[in-house]
This record gives sequence, structure tokens and C-alpha cells, in this order.
Amino acid sequence: MVHSVMTIAAEDDAPRVKGRSSLLRSPQFSSFIILVVLLAVFAVADANFLSPLNISNMMAFLPELGIIALGMTLLLTAGEFDLSVGAVFGLAPVLVMLLVQNGGWDIGVALLAGLLLCIAIGAINGLIVTKIGISSFLVTLSMLLVVRGAALYITQGFPLKSWDQPGFFVTLLAGSFNVGSFRFYTSLWWFIGLSLFAIYILRYAKLGNWISAIGSNRNAAVARGVPADAVKIWLFIATSVLAGLAGMISAFRISAASPVAGTGYELEVIAMVVVGGTALTGGRGTILGTIVGALMLRAIRNGIVLIGVPGLAYNIFVGLIILAMLILHALLQKNAARS
Amino acid sequence: MEVLRLQNLQKSFGSVRALKNASLTLREGEVVALLGDNGAGKSTLIKAISGVFPIDRGDIYVRGEKVSIRSTRDAMDLGIETIHQDTSLAPDLSIARNLFLGREPVNFGWLGVFAPLDLAKLRKAASELLKRVGISKKLDADALVSTLSGGERQSIAISRAMQFAAKVIILDEPTNNLGVEETHGVLRFVKEVRDAGHSVLLITHNIHHVFQVADRIVVMRRGEIVAEQTVADTDLLTVESIITGADMSALLKEARAR
Repeated sequence: MVHSVMTIAAEDDAPRVKGRSSLLRSPQFSSFIILVVLLAVFAVADANFLSPLNISNMMAFLPELGIIALGMTLLLTAGEFDLSVGAVFGLAPVLVMLLVQNGGWDIGVALLAGLLLCIAIGAINGLIVTKIGISSFLVTLSMLLVVRGAALYITQGFPLKSWDQPGFFVTLLAGSFNVGSFRFYTSLWWFIGLSLFAIYILRYAKLGNWISAIGSNRNAAVARGVPADAVKIWLFIATSVLAGLAGMISAFRISAASPVAGTGYELEVIAMVVVGGTALTGGRGTILGTIVGALMLRAIRNGIVLIGVPGLAYNIFVGLIILAMLILHALLQKNAARS
Repeated sequence: MEVLRLQNLQKSFGSVRALKNASLTLREGEVVALLGDNGAGKSTLIKAISGVFPIDRGDIYVRGEKVSIRSTRDAMDLGIETIHQDTSLAPDLSIARNLFLGREPVNFGWLGVFAPLDLAKLRKAASELLKRVGISKKLDADALVSTLSGGERQSIAISRAMQFAAKVIILDEPTNNLGVEETHGVLRFVKEVRDAGHSVLLITHNIHHVFQVADRIVVMRRGEIVAEQTVADTDLLTVESIITGADMSALLKEARAR
């Protein structure tokens, strides 16, 4: 009886999109195709693009923004975002190095303090967004100013020399190793490991189901007993901690901690995430897409230098390419909705 | 048999008394329609039952036992499932994931929220459920809810409530924004749900729908329950007049006399 009703309700007999066809239509796949095209264009335009030295360089930078992008993807999927990541990226290493150099703290304890700072920043962001109900745009924008201001104030605006004595922590965060003529940093392992974990969380874990549901329809998730506020607060904390981790990795790698490090990273990271196909409005997130997005933005920044675009014009190209990607996603989305 | 009994429920928001001494009984296998104008207290009442906020005073009994409902989780655990207008499903999730949202089958449960979903079980249970409620032919358990029509979404939401053997299914305006055919589909589905032994509390603006599916009618006005009648004993005009508070039948008589 119900069946006959539903026959009327569903007009077409066509089977719903599934399996391989949905992968081909997915936003991360179209991003991947464009990444391959971009890499090919850059490789043809300049032979040095695929040289071991250049690839090593790209792979050194990639994890630092990529790690933050992983947290941002989960946060965006839950329907929130965090503009304070670039500032946290700057403040965490600055605080750690100040504690070591001026306070005489042990590096391990100082790193722990840096971790606690990141947790606190994330928790404050999350609590204000969920419990007081102010949009994450405004809350984290304010937090950006507070955190960046704090970094500038405690250093009086001067960069600090970072920890350069070899040891466990430096090896753990910024050690390097050679594979043939390629030189890789341990940060790449961090990025790979965290990526796999994030993929697992979002696609296969119970938590991922909750994250997507919260971003897709918060009220529905709450009505099913999903603790939406707690999930969001923990995601803010995770994003903040990942930003701090990336900041430490960067500071150790270049042996300097600057209070202005990471300026503008928040937008670069969000660009990586949305270029990869994660929806800015929440509900649809893809870690694979974010990895593709991170590679793409890195390749674009690197490639346009190599092919000789004037330095001051970089951002024009970066912006245009991001815009083109987003238009493409929007068109694909529309197309999918129509079919 | 009595499934749900509300006794003298009270709820205020600041100085506004949204519920004043609301009492209501729901029996097994019946559809009770809850009617009332905007602001009559219908949604406050169902939110109180479904655990959205706690009541100020009064008692709730489920199968004769006094219970306290402090969260949506409490309500679900007591077998009370609420289906809100458009807010029941997450459109970006598959049908299967929606059906088990908040009650996901997992492996390695000790991992808590990090536990992996038992995807095979999830898909199998979802297909079985879709088959049982008779809508499997058209719907793939892996299809995203955003690809479904409004009527299909309502049916999925109602099936989910049935799936968890809900004693009481609360439907908040289930036919809003639906086309004629889809509305009939959902109403017929409501009858099947009742025939399967579930009790249904139906909140709607549309009195015609009430006369198609309900066994009893309860009318609220200004936070109070002002009338309770079996459908067989009343008619559309009477109910309408109770809702608005105006004696429409008297007005009608007057008009005819002139």
C-alpha cells in the first residue's frame, strides 16, 4: 500500500547515483583532475618544477599549512570555521621559545605549556560560539586579533631565535631525511599520519557521522541525541592544537620564531579546504579533497614563481585560480542536483 | 492500554505561561491529533515530551510509570520519538546513516566516538527497514537524503521512529510543504504505523487531515487543553470553532436565519 504511494511520489525509475559514478562526480575528484593538469602545465613550462630540489621544497612547506587544513576541514564540515589559526601558528612557538630562553624552562615543559595554550584558545573559541551563540566568524576574528596582539606584545615585535640544538623534539617535529636526491622532513610523516586519521574519523568513525550531521542539519543531529556543542568545542580545540603544532614544526625547521609568522594563513587554509570540495556551509567535507587542495595551492604558489610571474602579481593568479575552482564546484553541484 | 500520560504540565518562559495544567492520555495503537492556533502551546507541549527543555511542574507517565525527561536522549530511551517539520534528517548524509544517526552500530565500542561504524550492518539494517516499510524498490540505502522528495523524507523519518520500536511517535506538521499525492502517502503511512501498534501524536494545522487519520482530537488554546473528543463524535465545524474560541456553528445558524 505504502509502496504504491511511493511509486507516485518518486517520479522516475532511474536508479539513484551510487558507487563509482558518484566518485567521478565528487568534488574531490574534479579537484584532483585539475591538480594533475596544473602540475603538467607547470612541469612543461619549467623543467625545474619537477626537480628533486623543488619537490623537496614544496614537501617542506606543504605539511605546515596542510596540517591546519585537516582540522579546518573537520570544523567546516561541522558548520564552523576558525580565523585564528594563523595567529595561533605564530603565538605557540613564540611563547615556547620565550619560556625556554627567558624563563629557563625545559624545552619539553615549554612545549607542554604551548599545547595547553592552544587547547585554551580552541576551548574559548568553541565555548563562546556554542554556548553564547555568536557566529564563529566574529568570535575567531576577534581571537585572531587577541592572539596576534599577544604574540607581538610579548616579543616586542622581534623574532626569536628558535631551538636549534639537535634533540628528541627537533627530530620529532622538524627532523629531515634523504630519499635518493630528495630531502624530506618528518613533518611530512605528521601530515600523512594525521591525514589518515582524519580520513578515518570523517568517513568511518561514529564521530564523523556526527560531524557531518551537525553541519548538515544541527537540529536534526541534536534531536537524535548527538552532543553537537561538545563536538564543536572539541573540533575548535583540535584545530587550534593543529595550528600550534604546525607553528612549532615551522619554527624548528627555520630555527626562528617570529611573532608575525602565519599572517594570512587562515584564508590560505580555508582556500585549500574549499578548493578541495568541502562545503563552506557545512555538512559536506572531504579530507582527500583537502589534501588535493593543499597540494594545489602549494603547487600554484611554487609554479607561478618558476614560470616567471612577477612577484607582486602572485596573489592575482592565486585568487583567480581559487575562484575558478569554486565556480567549477558550484556548477558540478548544480548539475548533480538537476540529475 | 495507556502508553503516555501527561498530568498537569506547566511551563513558563519568563512571564509567559506557555503551558498551564496540560493533561493528556495516549493509548496504544491510536492516533491523537493535537490542534490549536499558533501560540496555543502545541509545540511547547511536544518539546516538553521530547526532552527539548524540562517542564516546570507536572508529571509524565510512560506505561504507568512516572518518568523524568531531561534530554532528547531520555525521551528516545523511553520510546518517544519526535519528528519535526523539516528538521528530522541531515540532507548531506545517506539514508542509512540518517536512519541510525545517534545510534550508530559500531565495532570496538570501547573506542567511544572514535569507534568505527559497522558499515555492513548499517547498510543491511537500512535496506531491511526500507523493505519492511515498503519503500525499498525506489530508494537505495546509500542515496543522500538531499536527493529525496519531501514525502520520501517524511516516510524515512517515520520509518526511523518505527525502527526503534517507539511506543509514541510525535509528528510535528508532517504534511507541511508536501504536494497532494505525497500528503496522502504520508497520511496512509501514519495509519499503517498505528496498525503496527504504535501510538501517534499528530500536530497539524490542517483539520481535514485530522479527520482522515485521527481517532481522537485534542484542542489546545492559550496553554490549556480545552477540548478532547473522539473523531466519530464531532465534526469539522465544531472543532474549528473550539480552536478559534468562537462559536462558529452559532454564527452559521445566525447567518442562515438571515
